[in-house]
Amino acid sequence: MVYEALDFYDIDSQLTEEELMVRDMVRDWVEEEVLPKIEEACSEGVFPDEWRVSLGEMGVLGAPLEGYGCPGLSYTAYGVICRELERGDSGLRSFASVQGSLAMYPIWDFGSEEQKQKYLPKMATGELIGCFGLTEPDYGSNPGDMVTRAEDKGDHYLLNGAKMWITNGTTSDLAVVWAKLEGVIRGFIVETGDEGYSAPEMKGKHSLKASVTSELVFQDCKIPKDRILPGVKGLKGPFSCLNNARFGISWGALGAAQACFHSAKEYALSRIQFDQPIASYQLVQNKLSWMLREITKGQLLALELARKKDNGSWIPEHISLAKMNNVDIALDIARMARDIHGANGILDEYCIMRHMANLESVKTYEGTHDIHNLILGRHITGIQSFTRSL
Amino acid sequence: MVEIAVLLKQVPDTNAKIAVVGGRVDESAVTSWVTSPYDEYALEAALQLVEAGGGSITAITLGPMRADKVLKDAAALGVTKLVRIWNDEWLDLDSNQVQSVLAEAIKESGADLVFCGKQSADRNQGSTGPGVAEILGAACVVEVSDFNAAEQFYLRPAASGSEKVTVNYPAVITFTKTESELRRPNVRGIMMSKKAQINLVSSDAGASQVTFKGHTSPAEKPPGKTFEGSDSVPEVVGLLRDEAKVL
Amino acid sequence: MEITIIAETQGNQLHAVTRQLVGAASSLGVSPTILCAGGVGADEASGISGVGKVLSVNGDCFSTFDGGAWATAFDAAAGEGVIMGAATAQGRDVVSRIAARRNIPVVQDVVTLSDGLNMTHPIYSGKAMQDVTISGSCGITLRANTFSPAGDGGSAESATVQQSGDVKIAVKEAIAKASERLDVSDADIIISGGRGMGNPENFDKLYSIAEGVGAAVGASRAAVDAWDPIPHSMQVGQTGKTVNPSLYIAVGISGAIQHLAGMRTSKYIVAINKDPEAPIFKVADYGIVSTWEEALPILASEIAKLQ
Ligand SMILES: Cc1cc2nc3c(=O)[nH]c(=O)nc-3n(C[C@H](O)[C@H](O)[C@H](O)COP(=O)(O)OP(=O)(O)OC[C@H]3O[C@@H](n4cnc5c(N)ncnc54)[C@H](O)[C@@H]3O)c2cc1C
Ligand SMILES: Cc1cc2nc3c(=O)[nH]c(=O)nc-3n(C[C@H](O)[C@H](O)[C@H](O)COP(=O)(O)OP(=O)(O)OC[C@H]3O[C@@H](n4cnc5c(N)ncnc54)[C@H](O)[C@@H]3O)c2cc1C
Repeated sequence: MVYEALDFYDIDSQLTEEELMVRDMVRDWVEEEVLPKIEEACSEGVFPDEWRVSLGEMGVLGAPLEGYGCPGLSYTAYGVICRELERGDSGLRSFASVQGSLAMYPIWDFGSEEQKQKYLPKMATGELIGCFGLTEPDYGSNPGDMVTRAEDKGDHYLLNGAKMWITNGTTSDLAVVWAKLEGVIRGFIVETGDEGYSAPEMKGKHSLKASVTSELVFQDCKIPKDRILPGVKGLKGPFSCLNNARFGISWGALGAAQACFHSAKEYALSRIQFDQPIASYQLVQNKLSWMLREITKGQLLALELARKKDNGSWIPEHISLAKMNNVDIALDIARMARDIHGANGILDEYCIMRHMANLESVKTYEGTHDIHNLILGRHITGIQSFTRSL
Repeated sequence: MVEIAVLLKQVPDTNAKIAVVGGRVDESAVTSWVTSPYDEYALEAALQLVEAGGGSITAITLGPMRADKVLKDAAALGVTKLVRIWNDEWLDLDSNQVQSVLAEAIKESGADLVFCGKQSADRNQGSTGPGVAEILGAACVVEVSDFNAAEQFYLRPAASGSEKVTVNYPAVITFTKTESELRRPNVRGIMMSKKAQINLVSSDAGASQVTFKGHTSPAEKPPGKTFEGSDSVPEVVGLLRDEAKVL
Repeated sequence: MEITIIAETQGNQLHAVTRQLVGAASSLGVSPTILCAGGVGADEASGISGVGKVLSVNGDCFSTFDGGAWATAFDAAAGEGVIMGAATAQGRDVVSRIAARRNIPVVQDVVTLSDGLNMTHPIYSGKAMQDVTISGSCGITLRANTFSPAGDGGSAESATVQQSGDVKIAVKEAIAKASERLDVSDADIIISGGRGMGNPENFDKLYSIAEGVGAAVGASRAAVDAWDPIPHSMQVGQTGKTVNPSLYIAVGISGAIQHLAGMRTSKYIVAINKDPEAPIFKVADYGIVSTWEEALPILASEIAKLQ
């Protein structure tokens, strides 16, 4: 079955030649190197190291950043990369999102010149892997109340606390950790091997099984003074990272949706029940046409958002809408595709159940679905409703 | 240091449906154009040869503007000299015309080694490599399936199996599928390719000596037949040979 | 019109296709001249009915295949008009070089030929056909097994000429045909076995037929799952490989939808199955209701006859 990415309005014709070449490069790689191995990676619960190497070789890590060995592609190209990666697996896209948007980006935007030179070139090639520590066991949607703290000890900082649900944590060479210094949220770079730092892996996930998720534990963790990110204070730091990652997710989710649609269409055409292909029944056609409708709308949303990212006319709420919508429809499409596949839909022979389970995480991380609703609600009414205290 | 010309042809994706409309294959219905697969093996071989011993590569294509894509793709893999030959009047060039304009561009490139596919995925002819070699006064090794950059030998089919041959330069080598894994571009290469200049040349191809009459769809397959018993095997083999023409 | 045929040889004899070339020339009412490289097959050639003349072209250059050198030698020996060869690797090489030397066009892999000269050749791997006419001189290669072979009973005159050509290719090492197995994704002919083969050892029967025709051996998932010696790389179907060969022979395969998903676009499908109700017969162009134990030996010998 040759993969035909659903593109009903030929939206990819809006891409530049360069963006199309990047798309084809990533799509071919996913087809040849990822899809044949993804089920095994999931059942073993590992992110194959050769994928890290290939992503670095292709040069897609930190794609929209410029300088320090990063390519400086458009945000549109970054979106396309996320879409093609997530058509393979959300865990693969998560790896790239975390590395590029959550670990490289804060160093690139808020780091010192020395920090940029030290880390970014090697992160772009995948030689160094980074993770992003914001969420804590007791603080998910409201990271502002985090308890991880840093103390200035004169010639070093001392970190104490714990982070949870950290993608790439155990396999990282460095972590960008958000912690309070004298009550103000600041970013710190913690390196594997720093005294008092450990990153045990969290096991037992039914979702994103090919992605590593970890705790980060800081027990009197001592880090040199030059590891603080000098350029940002407060929640603006982590939130600007999240904006970029969420943007990537709004494209990525479409990749998973396209994969599910493709599989459902092929299956419906070949599965015969009551003497006819199930694709010939109106109820099934209704499902397929709904999928097509939602994917097409999501594509238009993602493309227009990318344009805004590229010309600077975006606001964070634009990103919230696209992340929320596209993940939501992708998840519904995955469930519907699962239904169309009948019993076969629960097998690892098909991508459906894997995407479906993955998308449950995608719905929650990078701002839960409802947190994005609240962001939009605040935008519409001017009244925040995250907390009871107005 | 060797100067290699690689001939790349743009063809419809080999998975594409080919429809004949009004006596001609409907190219406007083709949504995906790619580099002819055997040509990709030729390009890979050239890249390996240059990596091993130095030198440079000129990628040459004969085709309309859309064929720039195959050159850009080559540029993304590091080829810096790109030549597209075209003349808007050209339609249905015959083998001679194709070979002569290609040979002219090869001479211009200064190449002493020419790599190309054993045949293109659209015309399936296999005349270009040997024909160009003849015009250039060069040797030609056809259907090469393996090569050794260091020892400069090529593996070609032989009655007994295969044979390793060496060849005097100038030479044309036509490639079939090789064991080499085709390299992937990377973002850096893709960004370089944006800057790569394509040298568009036109030339006089002379007159065609072939009258193009049109394309047709292959004959419809007769409906399936079922035969009883193993006695029918000779008949089926006969049909495979004479009717289906696949044996 | 004059036709000169470049004889296709196999070892020390003519290849069967040479008679087909003569048959094609005869159908145009022409008694062709046959050129035999180094005289190989000349005696047999003069006995083929319809041949006008046999010319043994001798020369040092014929000890190694070098299309350039051979074309030089043949060019000097051949007459005007049509230069005809077989659409094999060597035939295509030599005929296109002679055409280029003479500045005349060449059309390869011709499958129909009539006065005029009108000819048809497949393009896009047979997904379409191209019709062309050439009124002047040209080179043509013909696809094997598409033209009726000429029979015996001729007595053409034979002559020998000495020619030379500049050999620029040197053979360093001959490598015997590796019994390396073709991959299903690369093969133009695939013979696949299913659970009906009974055990993996019986796949040897498929391998021996496959070897003769340059085919790959594939398998159904039931076979791959049941038998370790049959690797997943051989599996054809939805969760195996999608293949698109000219000929797909399914032996002891029922034709489940998931298997069909991987091979139904094959140009021709042959099914050998003992159950006349097996769904594979619905997609087969030629179905043979028989056990493989009975059918395969006959298939092997019939195919061997064609080679
Ligand atoms: C696989 C995976 C990988 C992750 N990777 C990272 C990572 O790399 N780095 C990182 O920092 N974090 C990571 N996270 C954490 C993720 O960002 C958090 O899970 C997310 O922010 C939600 O927090 P929570 O799980 O604590 O849920 P909670 O915040 O407890 O939310 C639970 C539910 O309550 C709802 N809710 C919460 N507050 C409100 C409110 N005010 N009004 C209405 N509803 C509300 C939510 O919408 C949700 O439905 C990851 C999570 C997962 C699952
Ligand atoms: C999600 C999923 C994916 C799948 N993917 C694939 C796939 O990629 N490829 C695939 O092949 N299958 C696949 N299958 C399995 C598929 O459904 C069938 O089970 C499988 O193709 C059956 O293989 P078979 O035809 O060899 O075996 P059977 O169905 O058992 O058929 C054996 C046949 O051999 C015949 N036979 C027995 N003895 C003889 C004899 N002596 N001579 C001649 N004929 C004989 C019988 O009549 C019978 O028709 C998949 C299934 C699922 C659920």
